[in-house]
Amino acid sequence: MINWIIFAFLAPILGGLIYGIERVVKARMQGRMGPPVMQPFYDFAKLMDKRPLMIHSLHALMGIMYFVAEWFSLFVLFLGHDVLIAVFFHVLAVLALVIGASSVRSPYSVLGALRELMHMISYEPFMVLMVVGFYLVSGSFSINDILQSEPLIYKLPLVFMAFLFIIPMMLQKSPFDVAEAHQEIIGGPEIEYSGPFYEAVYTGKWIEYIYVFFFMFLFGGRNYILGVILVIFAFFFVNLLDNATARLDFRKMVKFSWIFLIPLAALNIILLALWR
Amino acid sequence: MGIFSKFRKKSPWILHYNTGGCNGCDIEILAALAPKYDIERFGALNKGNPKQADILLVTGPVTKNCKDVLRRLYLEMPEPKVVVAMGACAHGGGIFRNFYHVENGVDNVIPVDVWIPGCAPRVEALIDGIVEAIEIWQQKSKEKEYMRNHEENYERLGVKDDN
Repeated sequence: MINWIIFAFLAPILGGLIYGIERVVKARMQGRMGPPVMQPFYDFAKLMDKRPLMIHSLHALMGIMYFVAEWFSLFVLFLGHDVLIAVFFHVLAVLALVIGASSVRSPYSVLGALRELMHMISYEPFMVLMVVGFYLVSGSFSINDILQSEPLIYKLPLVFMAFLFIIPMMLQKSPFDVAEAHQEIIGGPEIEYSGPFYEAVYTGKWIEYIYVFFFMFLFGGRNYILGVILVIFAFFFVNLLDNATARLDFRKMVKFSWIFLIPLAALNIILLALWR
Repeated sequence: MGIFSKFRKKSPWILHYNTGGCNGCDIEILAALAPKYDIERFGALNKGNPKQADILLVTGPVTKNCKDVLRRLYLEMPEPKVVVAMGACAHGGGIFRNFYHVENGVDNVIPVDVWIPGCAPRVEALIDGIVEAIEIWQQKSKEKEYMRNHEENYERLGVKDDN
């Protein structure tokens, strides 16, 4: 128990390391050298040192709220509570970002907020379905029970496959980085954040990495080694997908999610419920 | 120098703006980002956003249409910031000098810290310029720069309150 609390407190550091490793992996995939692994922390220190330029207080507060709510959802996960509550806190975190982004007059920011809502429409129903699948296999919503049950991937292979394609939507990776789109709407919801407030949003993203990959780890169930293997596989798969594909229209993202991924997960859950 | 300022030199984020040049310099900048030279090794990222950038990399002669945008980008960058002017056109207009539509160089609009000569400068020259800019950037302190003669500087840049 106490280990998990320490783990949850150290989550931003771990997330930063994962982000640094990801940048190196991505650079190596493109035949580059890549930045040092500690690069996200250098960015963090630099952003803390910049002059705080605030648009208005609500906007800055919502940036910090995004970070706090993400961290809170991670605490819910790590302290062995309900998975469903963690999912809802994640919704709250993303909503904070949306409210902050739509409260400024910059059109890029508002457009980014609307696209972020499209992201939410695509992945949140799936997240709830996935948690229902966890419940059907392990008989409980609590993390401790899920980590005691048999490996979930044997019973939920289609959900696992669909989750592999949901990860790029949640982390805003290339086929579905509609909201971030750093060439067209430069960063989307985070465009107006700067200095320490941007740092809050930046760190919130590191925590989102941990959040997503912890769900991936849960698929391993009792078998922790299998869980770690799944996480590493998902990490490389998502990076490969990010490097190999171009950005899609947001309509295609929503269609792909609602016509393909969610029915796939629903099919798996229906079959599981019938044959249980 | 605080604890955080020591790490400042390790992550320079670049904002690149072309004020009406011929794209020669921009190709060199992209070459610097590409695998052969790869300035992301030093933590440099090409951010398209002035609010998150540290180094303003300007190329091209400043045309009259671009003048206001350039000034605005400069003012929107938060305070420890450096301006790098790249290429002959950015120095004094280059072959566009004294044309009717040109402001003759970046220095006539915003203060410049580092100059990179050449037409177009080689990527090595660009990296040298960035390294020098990082050194200047490290000596700057955010408080001094934005508190001292705040109103006068804004007056000199010709910015009116446009809300």
